[in-house]
Amino acid sequence: MPAVQQMLTRTGRSVFATAALVAVVAALASLYTSSGGASRESLIAEMLTNFIFVLGMQVFIGNTGVLSFGHMAFAQIAAYATAVVAIPLAAKVKALPDIPFGLDTVHFGAFGATAFAIAITLVVGAVFGIAVCRASGLAPTMITLAALFVVEQVVKNWSELTRGAGGLSGIPRLQGNGWLWVGAGIALVVAHLFQETRIGRFAIATREDELAAPALGIRLFTARYAAWIVSIGLIALGSSLRAQSLGSVNPKQFTLDQGILLLVMLVVGGMRSISGAVLGTVLITAGTELFRQLGDPQRLDIERFPDLFLGGTMLLVMLLRPGGLLGDRDLAGWLRRRMYRRPTAEPVTASPGTAVLKASEIEVHFGGFIALDGAGLAVRPGEVVGLIGPNGAGKTTLFNVITGLVREQGGRVLLGDDELTHSNPVQVARAGLARTFQNLRVFKNLSTRENVALAALVSARHRPHRTRVDVDTLLDDVGLGEWADRQAGTLDYGNQRRLELARAAALAPDFLLLDEPTSGMSDQESLAMVNSVRTVAARIGAGVLVIDHDLGFITRISDHIVVLNEGRVLAEGTPAEVRANPQVAEAYLGSSA
Amino acid sequence: MTKLLQTIVDGLGVGSTYALLALGISLIFGVMHLVNFAHGELITVGAYVSYFFFLHGGSWWWMPVAIIGSAMLASVATELVAFRWVRNASPFTLLLTSFALERLSHALWQILVSPKQRAFPKPSWVFYQFKLGGISFEWMDIVTILVTAATLLLTALVFKRTMFGISVRGAAEDFDAARLMGVRANRVISGAFAFAGLLAGVAACLILMRSPSADPSMGSDWLMKAVIAAVVGGLGSFSGAVIGGLVLGLLETLTRAYLPEVATGWDKFSTAVTFVVIAAFFVARPDGIFKVSHAERV
Amino acid sequence: MLEVDQITTRYGAITALHGASLEVREGELVALVGPNGAGKTTLLNTVAGLLRPASGTVRLEGNDITGAEPARLVRAGLALVPEHRRIFKDLTVEENLRLGGATVPAGERRSRLAEAPELFPVLKAKWNTAAGFLSGGEAQQLAVARALMSNPRLLLLDEPTLGLAPTLIDVVFELLQRLREQGRTMLVVEQNATRILRLADRGYLLRTGRIVAEGTGAELAADGALFDSFIGGHAEGGTA
Repeated sequence: MPAVQQMLTRTGRSVFATAALVAVVAALASLYTSSGGASRESLIAEMLTNFIFVLGMQVFIGNTGVLSFGHMAFAQIAAYATAVVAIPLAAKVKALPDIPFGLDTVHFGAFGATAFAIAITLVVGAVFGIAVCRASGLAPTMITLAALFVVEQVVKNWSELTRGAGGLSGIPRLQGNGWLWVGAGIALVVAHLFQETRIGRFAIATREDELAAPALGIRLFTARYAAWIVSIGLIALGSSLRAQSLGSVNPKQFTLDQGILLLVMLVVGGMRSISGAVLGTVLITAGTELFRQLGDPQRLDIERFPDLFLGGTMLLVMLLRPGGLLGDRDLAGWLRRRMYRRPTAEPVTASPGTAVLKASEIEVHFGGFIALDGAGLAVRPGEVVGLIGPNGAGKTTLFNVITGLVREQGGRVLLGDDELTHSNPVQVARAGLARTFQNLRVFKNLSTRENVALAALVSARHRPHRTRVDVDTLLDDVGLGEWADRQAGTLDYGNQRRLELARAAALAPDFLLLDEPTSGMSDQESLAMVNSVRTVAARIGAGVLVIDHDLGFITRISDHIVVLNEGRVLAEGTPAEVRANPQVAEAYLGSSA
Repeated sequence: MTKLLQTIVDGLGVGSTYALLALGISLIFGVMHLVNFAHGELITVGAYVSYFFFLHGGSWWWMPVAIIGSAMLASVATELVAFRWVRNASPFTLLLTSFALERLSHALWQILVSPKQRAFPKPSWVFYQFKLGGISFEWMDIVTILVTAATLLLTALVFKRTMFGISVRGAAEDFDAARLMGVRANRVISGAFAFAGLLAGVAACLILMRSPSADPSMGSDWLMKAVIAAVVGGLGSFSGAVIGGLVLGLLETLTRAYLPEVATGWDKFSTAVTFVVIAAFFVARPDGIFKVSHAERV
Repeated sequence: MLEVDQITTRYGAITALHGASLEVREGELVALVGPNGAGKTTLLNTVAGLLRPASGTVRLEGNDITGAEPARLVRAGLALVPEHRRIFKDLTVEENLRLGGATVPAGERRSRLAEAPELFPVLKAKWNTAAGFLSGGEAQQLAVARALMSNPRLLLLDEPTLGLAPTLIDVVFELLQRLREQGRTMLVVEQNATRILRLADRGYLLRTGRIVAEGTGAELAADGALFDSFIGGHAEGGTA
């Protein structure tokens, strides 16, 4: 039942935020159209289709941070798909006498045509999406650009189906802007809801950090692909509605320039925020129109001023507010924080795990350099093991082998009976190892609580057998309770470290793997970190493997210490034993040879 | 065989223009991780400068100097007024900044001159033909290939032999280490923009000799191809950019010439097929032909 | 020659140096030692102008150079051999050296370039090889040779033996010895603490961003604080 209730809350919140935004826009629109004729109505129509397009782009670009130039390609597919099934048969046979696929006998009504367009676009989009979401760096952007050119060329040249550059007209027109309002409403609700779903949260995590998200068990591809599909669906909806609103389609509606115009709307308002996307659309649509009228209305070549406005606005925003006007401010996000009620149940403490983490005989070479030469270690349930060694001893490499970031050439990694040898970071995280990073990797644009809640979403799904501790208890345990609603990037250094610890703990792991949790901290802060780590580990019933430079910290926190040197285990034992070992001193201070 | 040779010469002609532009894009990416979508506007600048001079009695004898000079100035100016201020921002911000400049350039020419195309005279010899072994060549093909070869040679010399060139390559690999050598960041970046402007200026000359006209959005089409060529080659790799440009040019002309033979009725889809191949390439090799690894903080 | 006075340096929210001070006199070899993460590299990078201190001053031969651009510092006679060497892997050995001499007049650069193979014979055979193909020891020698191209009056070296095999570590120490005999003023960060302190005139011990001990090399090597700071045996000791 709580699941149903939660879903209702989310839906309600999304609908409410949508209604509020639509109401504001509608008020502005009616104010604008109250004095003026049909041309004003058509500007509103233009703005509404822009809404749907920009929100469609926001779902993918805004949530995943992957830039796409190719969304207009899918708009084009949807528009033409609408046209070829919606134009009445007689007119269609006349315009397209050689139409293939037996389309000369197919005719759908408005709903049918819209559904058909969305379906066709989704099929094509699903194929392209595989390529887009698998790649990284600039490649996805380039693939979308190539997609745009491919579709543009096919439409221009496949004249049997598209009538080439001239376009198609005679699509039965929707009366008034009513359906466009409905479409914009749907787009807003979908965009809002997507950010509330698990997969949507995961997409946001991949945008925030491509390395930290997999370490929390989030697959980059799945999250991005989901965003892509939803995004393409919205684009198709908008494009089909526009085609039916205008009654005609032609290739000029889908150029790269059109795509960039929409991108400016998204970026100027703030691509991470849905409210920002709405604001950007209103501002840019209105501004473009205003500047269009500034030109000489007698001549038709007056498109020059809108470009000035677009370029100028974008340049100013990039120089002064690269996150967009609203940045991360979002109506639905604000509601989510306002409506948040901390669970009233008593904080639970998880029972300790039972598995042993064991890495043995690990060998790693980078080219000719031997980083690990048969090193290994074991951590028992609930135990705290410190991993130390001089610079270049192979500590971080061993850590990366265990967490799946580096592939070992020899040796095994076992967690209980689970074989983790050659696993990837996602599998390792889901199997029960949660790590933190040496250079901070919190999700900077999310709130402190949202950071931890993301990991909790993963554990709810993939670690159901472990007792889960609620997010606020973990935040309290590391002393971040009062900062729960702060944007994580604005926390000070020590608090960001503690946040990473809480986030890792929310994964309900069997072991916490901490990579230099005190680097850059003062002695007092290190001392406090000892308590935070111990409290959290006890709370979630996890063992700890920790690397640190600060040996004061390591000796205080560890039950057992493993010393690495030149890729091998040099010594191990209790802190006192290790301190008394002359070989250890020599490894650290250099041979006296 | 004749057709193949002809096609290859055509392909190298287009491809060498892509290569010059891609090289500039790769160079700028190397020193500041910016994918410069305003780079194509340098062609537009050259075109309007030519248009202006031809209105006042210009001649093709000295026009290349004016075109190249104005492209270099414009390139350095974009860095001074815009890119310098976002130098350490995310690649996303840098890229969108260059987009903004591209838009502004369009607006500038629309307002200052006209949104319509403006034509000016072409050099008389451009379409003169001569025959060699049964194949007819246009002079322009030969000029294009020779000028490109000379420019690439000059570029190689500059980057191999001069202190400036070595500084730019060093800075592209590890900017902080280059600063430790006493290299001035501002100077190296301005210099890279000037050199990219020079390359774009040469490309502009070749483009304008063939089709001597200026219109506000003429740079954008070339730019997109050049960006694709640079990314195909591996952004930041100089030889990659040249190879990427030539490959793209050849791919375009070869599909246009031979696709209809492979599949009848497909001639009109040659460009589409080119881009499908490119998309497939990026799926297989997302980092381009030459992957460039940059120094990262350990 | 170099006076570092109460330097505090931050990376965003992290304070890596808390008011550290040290001094290097003409002709001295000064060692800066301390556990990993103590702020040694931060200190060198701050002196060399890669990082700007939040407070404090750095003086080179009496001139305030706090927060100056590296380009100015190199011209003022300071050179840093950075951590991990940071040689230009795509450039040849010769090009690396030429770039090292970016700030000196062309004639002087040429004559130093001609001397380099004698001073560093291993580089001679690899003169036109891309530096990425050099072994660790060769790369380290190139990094030093590159820094010497600007004929610095003060040479900063950051972990010159990092990642090198024991025999190559000997080579690097011989190189340091040789530079010292030539009267070159040096500030060296080195993990091999006992060995560098034996070579050094004086040393400083840095811990969590603060200088906690200083003295002659021998004094510092004998000081228990050194061992304790590395192995973590503070007065309060371990809890285990």
